Amino acid sequence: MDAILGLQHPGLEQALSIFLHLDSLNRSFDGAPAVRDLSLDIAEHEIITLLGPSGCGKTTTLRMVAGFESPDSGRIVLEGRDVTRITPRHRGFGMVFQHYALFPHLDVGANVAFGLESAGLTRAEIERRVASSLELVGLPDTEARSVGSLSGGQQQRIALARALAPEPKVLLLDEPLSNLDAALRERTRRELRTLVKDIGITSIYVTHDQEEAFDLSDRIAVMRDGRLDQVGPAEELYHSPATEFVAKFLGRAGAARGIVEERASTGSVRCRMGAGPVWEAQASDSGQPYAAGSDVRLLARPEALEICNPQADGAVRGVVVDRRFAGSFYVYAVDVERGELEVQSTADVAKAGETVGLRPLAPPAGLFAFPLRDEHGE
Amino acid sequence: MGRPHLSWRGRALVASVFVVLFWAVIYPNVVVLLESVSGDAGFTLGHYAEFFQTSSELRALWSSVWISVLTVVLSAAIGVPLAFLFAGYEFPGRWVLGALAAMPVLLPPLVGVIAILFLYGESGIATRFLQSALRLDAPPWRLQGPGAILAVHAYSMYVYFYLFSLAGLARIDPAVFEAAASLGAGRVRTLTRVALPLLTPTLAGASLLTFMTSMASFSAPYVLGGGFRVMTTQIFNSKLQGEMSMAMVEAVMLAAVSILVLWPLSRWEGSREYVAPGKGTRSARVPVKSRWARFGITAAAGLGVLLLVLPHLTLVLVSFVPDGAWTTETLPPAYSFENYLQLFSDPRTLRPILNSLLMASAATVAAVALAVAVGQLVVRWRVRGSKLLEGMVILPWALPGTVLAIALATTFSVNQPWAFRFVLVGTPWILALAYTLRVLPLTGRALLAGYRQVDPSLEEAAASLGAGPWRTLRRVTVPGLLPAIAVGASLAFVTGLGEFVASIVLYTFRTRPISIEILSQLRDFDLGAAAAYGVLLMILVGAAFMFGQRWLQTGRS
Repeated sequence: MDAILGLQHPGLEQALSIFLHLDSLNRSFDGAPAVRDLSLDIAEHEIITLLGPSGCGKTTTLRMVAGFESPDSGRIVLEGRDVTRITPRHRGFGMVFQHYALFPHLDVGANVAFGLESAGLTRAEIERRVASSLELVGLPDTEARSVGSLSGGQQQRIALARALAPEPKVLLLDEPLSNLDAALRERTRRELRTLVKDIGITSIYVTHDQEEAFDLSDRIAVMRDGRLDQVGPAEELYHSPATEFVAKFLGRAGAARGIVEERASTGSVRCRMGAGPVWEAQASDSGQPYAAGSDVRLLARPEALEICNPQADGAVRGVVVDRRFAGSFYVYAVDVERGELEVQSTADVAKAGETVGLRPLAPPAGLFAFPLRDEHGE
Repeated sequence: MGRPHLSWRGRALVASVFVVLFWAVIYPNVVVLLESVSGDAGFTLGHYAEFFQTSSELRALWSSVWISVLTVVLSAAIGVPLAFLFAGYEFPGRWVLGALAAMPVLLPPLVGVIAILFLYGESGIATRFLQSALRLDAPPWRLQGPGAILAVHAYSMYVYFYLFSLAGLARIDPAVFEAAASLGAGRVRTLTRVALPLLTPTLAGASLLTFMTSMASFSAPYVLGGGFRVMTTQIFNSKLQGEMSMAMVEAVMLAAVSILVLWPLSRWEGSREYVAPGKGTRSARVPVKSRWARFGITAAAGLGVLLLVLPHLTLVLVSFVPDGAWTTETLPPAYSFENYLQLFSDPRTLRPILNSLLMASAATVAAVALAVAVGQLVVRWRVRGSKLLEGMVILPWALPGTVLAIALATTFSVNQPWAFRFVLVGTPWILALAYTLRVLPLTGRALLAGYRQVDPSLEEAAASLGAGPWRTLRRVTVPGLLPAIAVGASLAFVTGLGEFVASIVLYTFRTRPISIEILSQLRDFDLGAAAAYGVLLMILVGAAFMFGQRWLQTGRS
């Protein structure tokens, strides 16, 4: 359970004064479950990202937090208060929509003022807050502009200003950068991070983009098929993925099959790679048996391997099937006995069709062994 | 982008489209305008002076205007809330009831009037039911005068507001409502600050259509007006009494007032169009949670919709009543298939059906062909005078049918080939021409919009693949236009089938359409036969709409 909540670091656990608590949320649409038994704790001032492929339930989760969907079961608790049945109108969460949902008939100022008017502030106070919100997002003095005259990036920032103006307790962002082109997206991402961090607002960010998640979040919650696979800081997810899915979804990883030799006491497992050598890989920590002689799938990050002489000690032999130039390094896809591994190198050391050897640089770093349950049944 | 270079055949097409439209659309109105200011001794404003000095004329003009304004208000009051109900909430039976709420479109103007007459008229079913239930000596109301006209107008025209608002609401990005909610706006504030402002262009469009339809309405004031006169009935009476000069002045005045209103409203309509970006796939409908509320809303919607389809049911019921069988009873005492058998067995009663089908088909084909040509000229070739072409296609829509009929009757009752005037009155051609002009704005608007939605790069791709202009038109352009053609053609055909206003001025015994036959059956008190014609029209109209929908879907896929 602690692993799922990403709490295995004792320091983090103490820092986590639970602010927003999602408790066993379930939601199905026409009998098809979209979110299953999802629990997540979010600390105050934390930015957490729900990351997953489309259809994994991340947007449904966000909409439940916002109040646009009600969970079939489960609770949403804000500062100890159950807000599950509170309407979006009274929940007081700010939201930035994927297509921004700016009111096209209102000018920029009226859009940003909308939430402040709902709150019944005085005209002067509203004007002051509108101006400061626009200042905050770097678009001062744009009150009188029509939203149609703004660029995509500007619309995105107005949407953010509108959501932030009423000073919500929680900010929800539904793929807010997905409609921007690549260059703008990167710049806006940086600005967004700085802004949200400066304000210190607790935020939930939904995206399918791994880079965005890495860049923006304190912690990432990886979702698949309506469930959480793993929650934790980006580094932890990248270096110690709890599942094969997380390993593949965050970063690149080649895969080959191996057979368990023995489970080492340090939480790693030694696997024989085909007829070749024995490699040490990290064991996933969810109490897998790793019985000697059982099959595992071994995933390797390209930067955790190196190309060597096929005859070298501990080398797995393979044939280079693809060579790709990626700027500061080269990536080779190597066909090995029971799979295809990837390896990266700063120097161009092999040609397509060449037989090479592969070996880990610092095992078990960057190597992950997952039991092959599919082939053997449960 | 410059204009494409045209071959001599292309230029011939451009010239002939201009000539045909000018001759059919503009010229008759010019003739009316000129003849309305000419007397025995040349130019005179005497007819206009007479018009403005006659209080009954001014009263009729004023009546047309205020009836139309009230019709807009009433129709909006019914149609907009209905649209919000069916678009905003999910409850059992929503789909069926929502579709039934559009049922009045199945009733052509005159048929709607007689259906309501059978139901709420002096000897109507509902009237007699109330009279006997309350033991009254006289009917509880008289279906006559401005009140009756307004009731019929509201009943048949709220559909514009209903359908326009449904479509308008569907175009709004549902996230906008969620944004309002997340910013703390309640139901009322969301409605007044977000939903209604976003619907403004849509509501302007519906108001415009309702106002114009009401200004042009003839059936309701003609059948139910009693002594109450509006401009259209005034024109018809003048024509009937042979006072052609007065009829022309009245026609000009009615057209002038209509266009005076059309102008600002249509600018308002086009000024602000908001389109929802991207997905908007998520339904904005709120499921009604409480079981009692759900039951209540379904029951209320069901009751409302029943009220809306009662005229249809009445029409069907009366169509089974044999001639003379229904006298003083609340419900007709006897039923048979006699009316329907006679409809199809007697060549005399079959004739109007064939006439209507033929005229509607011919007008639809002609109007679609003209609209395709205009679309090509205006959107693709961007010929000089495109605005004028577009205007000529839309203009008949701004002219009430009665005005159009008077213009055609005036222009084509003399033989002056050198002035392009021929005697068409009394021949089937005058009806064919009138019907085509009546439906031209429908096909024209649909096809101009259709042309603008077809990506021109598709045609460029066809050309780059070696297709000539004809093959491009046949294989690429027209298939892309199919949805627009489906919409335009089905609307045109339906309008042609039920046409009454222009027909009553221009028909002869041989060319009489269904609507005229309904009127004469009604005069002979053969209610069953009139209703049977009405039901037949209703079925044909329904079939044409379904055919159009089906075609629309195949065209889109």
